[in-house]
Amino acid sequence: MPLINEQARIVENECVGPRLYLMVLESPQIAKTIKPGQFVHVRIPGMPDHILRRPFSVYAANPATNTIDILYQTVGYGTDFMTTLTPDSASLSVVEVLGPVGRCWMPPEHVKRALLVGGGVGAAPLYMLAEQLVKAQVHTDVVLGAQTEQALVCRGRYEVLLSSHEADVVAPLCSTDDGSYGRAGFATSLVAEALESAAQAARPYDYVAVCGPEPLMRAVAELCAGANVYCEVSMERRMACGIGACLSCVVETTDGKLRACVDGPVFDATKVVW
Amino acid sequence: MAVNLGGLLMKNPVTTASGTFAAGREYNDFVDVSTLGAVTTKGVSLHGWAGNDTPRIAETPSGMLNSIGLQNPGVKHLMDVDIPWLNDQGATIIVNVSGHSFDEYLAVVDELEQACVHAYEINISCPNVDAGGMTLGTDPKCVESIVKKIRDATDRPLIVKLTPNVTSITDIAKAAEAGGADAISLINTLLGMSIDAERMRPTMARVVGGLSGSCVKPVALRMVWECHQAISLPILGMGGIMNGLDAVEFILAGASAVAVGTANFVNPFATQEVIEGIADYCERHGVNDVNELIGALKC
Ligand SMILES: Cc1cc2nc3c(=O)[nH]c(=O)nc-3n(C[C@H](O)[C@H](O)[C@H](O)COP(=O)(O)OP(=O)(O)OC[C@H]3O[C@@H](n4cnc5c(N)ncnc54)[C@H](O)[C@@H]3O)c2cc1C
Ligand SMILES: Cc1cc2nc3c(=O)[nH]c(=O)nc-3n(C[C@H](O)[C@H](O)[C@H](O)COP(=O)(O)O)c2cc1C
Ligand code: FES
Repeated sequence: MPLINEQARIVENECVGPRLYLMVLESPQIAKTIKPGQFVHVRIPGMPDHILRRPFSVYAANPATNTIDILYQTVGYGTDFMTTLTPDSASLSVVEVLGPVGRCWMPPEHVKRALLVGGGVGAAPLYMLAEQLVKAQVHTDVVLGAQTEQALVCRGRYEVLLSSHEADVVAPLCSTDDGSYGRAGFATSLVAEALESAAQAARPYDYVAVCGPEPLMRAVAELCAGANVYCEVSMERRMACGIGACLSCVVETTDGKLRACVDGPVFDATKVVW
Repeated sequence: MAVNLGGLLMKNPVTTASGTFAAGREYNDFVDVSTLGAVTTKGVSLHGWAGNDTPRIAETPSGMLNSIGLQNPGVKHLMDVDIPWLNDQGATIIVNVSGHSFDEYLAVVDELEQACVHAYEINISCPNVDAGGMTLGTDPKCVESIVKKIRDATDRPLIVKLTPNVTSITDIAKAAEAGGADAISLINTLLGMSIDAERMRPTMARVVGGLSGSCVKPVALRMVWECHQAISLPILGMGGIMNGLDAVEFILAGASAVAVGTANFVNPFATQEVIEGIADYCERHGVNDVNELIGALKC
């Protein structure tokens, strides 16, 4: 798929949770071509001294409205500045998006049962994968972890999606660090139990996809290795070019140092050297 | 728009800065490499280097730091994969060469003599055993000696890429000239560092790295201008070129050609826009031949 650099109009940019914002962009070509797990490399207007683009996964794509959704957390200058952009501003209502970039999620061909694990804002890059799996009638379970109930901002969308799937209606399993919703503590314990009970019920998972803080991804990858389940992780690295040219973003793997932007961000978890 | 960079004929004065454009393929959806004056490839060593740990970059005011550590898969890979592709595209090719010893530089050039490339750019900013582990490019004697050795090994245009991390850039430029270089290029990145005060930690794994982008342009211009006055070799100027006007500044200061680096990360069309910007400047100023602008600064 050719890379596109598109001027995307901001349709919406709303606070949806603690330090969490949803930006909807009119980006017709990327909305049509983006695959689950891929990202866009965004040039934010109005901050010329901060020259680098910022990479963001696409949370949802809607080819009918030509839009893509980005769920972002404010963690520094660029993401803070992004919150000030509005659809009605004369000069700051258009961002430049380059994409679609990266290796998408690649569930095994005849996957029967999948488990998706999203930690914090890592819930977003899994949503399009969930849509794809549900559409293909793959039994899909979702574990979401966040610091607090308010931060579980993707839960609603996942609930709607999972309940659209006729057979086993299962809401996402949730954990919060402060215990305000679902299991208290990290999502890892929910994952361990899900793997175990699926195996015991003789309906084991054959695919786990995880995105979130590196310790979570590593822990889940280890659980999957132990249970012999194929697992993919989505790695985050600082990026300059975002398209494979500069080698800023490498991930240590059993095949050497590979670029997170184009060889990833999604990697076979057994290849990652943590 | 054509220029002659020490025997390398370029259809326009614009090439890519080594390490920011790989060998061009990644930018293929944005830039037709055959329209560039030349493509300068990522630094290549004999057997490939793994490079440094991540984080390898940090954003800094109007620029960035990098400590990639010259990760590359080795000269054979370049010759088997990248050079044939560039040849098919009809690109003019400058290969950027790195080495940890004099012998490594020579071995890389020796291999490349069999490949269809048009010029070499020797990166003397690497730490080198023959310079006692120091950066080769900071010692005029070492520079003259390595340039002489490579000169004896090739008849192709030989560009020596200087590091700005020296007290006197003109001393190094003169050493390159004495060694038999056909051109010099400058600047490589300026050594810098960045700190995350909240975490009380350096921002990059290697602590220090090379600064590039708009913030280095005044330093780069000054060095190009000084070298233009000090030696008679043509100069490939770079450091913070983001648009056509920036490029013209380098040409006025004495550069015969220019390279676009960090700008590619911001804008994948940057090289193309720089070419158009130079042409536009020439038209606005009634300049028929871009060569008239080289060193035309009125002081
Ligand atoms: C493939 C990929 C997908 C991502 N998807 C999302 C997403 O959907 N939602 C979301 O909120 N965040 C996502 N991130 C993280 C996001 O890119 C960073 O939070 C953002 O770049 C921070 O920018 P800043 O200017 O606020 O931070 P600053 O600290 O001011 O940024 C300084 C520099 O460091 C880089 N940087 C800082 N933190 C990160 C990080 N965690 N990862 C990569 N680069 C970083 C910035 O891009 C910038 O170049 C993703 C990262 C990657 C690599
Ligand atoms: C990510 C990155 C990688 C680089 N790799 C190389 C390299 O392999 N060899 C080299 O001679 N210079 C390398 N450079 C230096 C550039 O070629 C150039 O000299 C410098 O960045 C200044 O130009 P700019 O400000 O336009 O980027 C690299 C620069 C960057 C930012
Ligand atoms: S960000 Fe440049 S290679 Fe990945």
